Amino acid sequence: MLDSLKDVIRKSSIHVCLVSTGGCNGCDIEVVALLSPRYDLEQYGIYVHNNPREADVILIAGAVTEQWREKLQRIYAKAPEPKVVVAVGNCPLSGDVFNQEGGSVYAPASDFIPVDAEISGCPPRPSEILAAILAVGPDAIATKGRQAKGGHTVEEKAEGGEKV
Amino acid sequence: MSSVIWYLYEFARKSWAEKFADAKTDQEIMETPSRFRDFPEVRKEYCIACGACTAACPAPMAIKLVRTKDNTHEKGITYPIINNRGCIRCGFCAEVCPTEPKTLLCGENHHIREKFTIFPQEKLYVIDDYLCIRCKKCLETCKNVAGAISEVDKKMVIDQSKCIGCGDCVKNCPVKGAVKAIYVDHVEEQKSIINLVVNTLESRIDEDQDKIMFLEPPEVYKIDYPTYELAQKAREIIPQEDLIRDTFEKITDRLKLRILTWNEEKCTDCRLCVSECPSGAITYDEEEGVKRDPDKCLRCSICYQTCPFDVPGYYLARFQLTDDPLDEGLIQITIKPSKLPTQ
Repeated sequence: MLDSLKDVIRKSSIHVCLVSTGGCNGCDIEVVALLSPRYDLEQYGIYVHNNPREADVILIAGAVTEQWREKLQRIYAKAPEPKVVVAVGNCPLSGDVFNQEGGSVYAPASDFIPVDAEISGCPPRPSEILAAILAVGPDAIATKGRQAKGGHTVEEKAEGGEKV
Repeated sequence: MSSVIWYLYEFARKSWAEKFADAKTDQEIMETPSRFRDFPEVRKEYCIACGACTAACPAPMAIKLVRTKDNTHEKGITYPIINNRGCIRCGFCAEVCPTEPKTLLCGENHHIREKFTIFPQEKLYVIDDYLCIRCKKCLETCKNVAGAISEVDKKMVIDQSKCIGCGDCVKNCPVKGAVKAIYVDHVEEQKSIINLVVNTLESRIDEDQDKIMFLEPPEVYKIDYPTYELAQKAREIIPQEDLIRDTFEKITDRLKLRILTWNEEKCTDCRLCVSECPSGAITYDEEEGVKRDPDKCLRCSICYQTCPFDVPGYYLARFQLTDDPLDEGLIQITIKPSKLPTQ
């Protein structure tokens, strides 16, 4: 009873934190376009706060630079369970044009924190970002919320893999 | 007062209340418009494995040439694959794709064809905006022909329908190559001259492979190649001195040959390069070991980057034509090791 009530509330109110880990800001601007009246993100019950402490969804846009490696993990650990990570654009997926020979980006972001959804594109269309958040957000948050009761600790999940 | 009443009247209407309670984005805003340039579409049957798409691609992980295995009936085909996680949808690959019809389709840019001159003239004059310094000397020279050269968007542009092809703009341009005179006729002959010169230069460089192979990075290797024989052969193709000179100059200015040497003594038959080669130029035979067929080779450098034993060497050659007449002139060849990283 309490679970289903929580699910309903979680599904209709998603708080998003946008983390730009060293990209060109193109994807950030697409997210800003989502906030505008044209796309109107808030009609779906999604709020962008840019505060990891109250975030359900963390959007990562950027190719993970040297300075962001540890900070990204710290931001992930700060977000309360249940949480979902969405990688926006190609940078967190492959490093995109920044992943050149001799460059110092540490893509993909999934080496550092678990990524639940990927949106490819450089940048992706606002509607693609919205579709990804809506597809992965509500249900994943609900199921993760139940899993978290089963004893997963934050530290276990935040553990990042070695860079290949 | 009247405006307050008007607002109250407006807010009290049912249609306004309905819209307010049920605000939604129009479906057509969310849909992707047809003009949107999406990820490239690959039509593998047209691919000629030239590698132009991989060279034009700005994203390191986006595009790769792959080759299917040969079977008993037919040879394997080479085609590009697009990695959506790396592709930035710029459409450069589709623009440079030389096949007809195109192997890669992306957006609409690559359907645009360049305009061609309607005035019957030997040369087409164009201004290269990349080299142009906007000194407007061409504009001053071209005063007699109204509107042939004009300034559009702070760029100097030649109107092909008004140009009479006198060539004064080229003579007065202080930057070499900023105004280009392109020979519109004799395209086939120009092609055979280009083939002749490039092939001759390449075989000349191949003769010195043993010396090039042991170059250390800061060193360069220089060859002077006399143009007398080349000029004679070119005159057999087309006896037009200024066209030959012009073509020779354009070749030496623009040509950047990639040279691949092959040091068989170092090869340990590890066969790492065999599967990596996109054109199937490297083969393995139990008796002969790993062999490279220079005629099939695309000089793409993948084997150079793969080989752990420094068997392939990768070099760049640039060319310079001296100012002497063609019968006494020289093509100066400079070869330097490439700075590409290896494993």
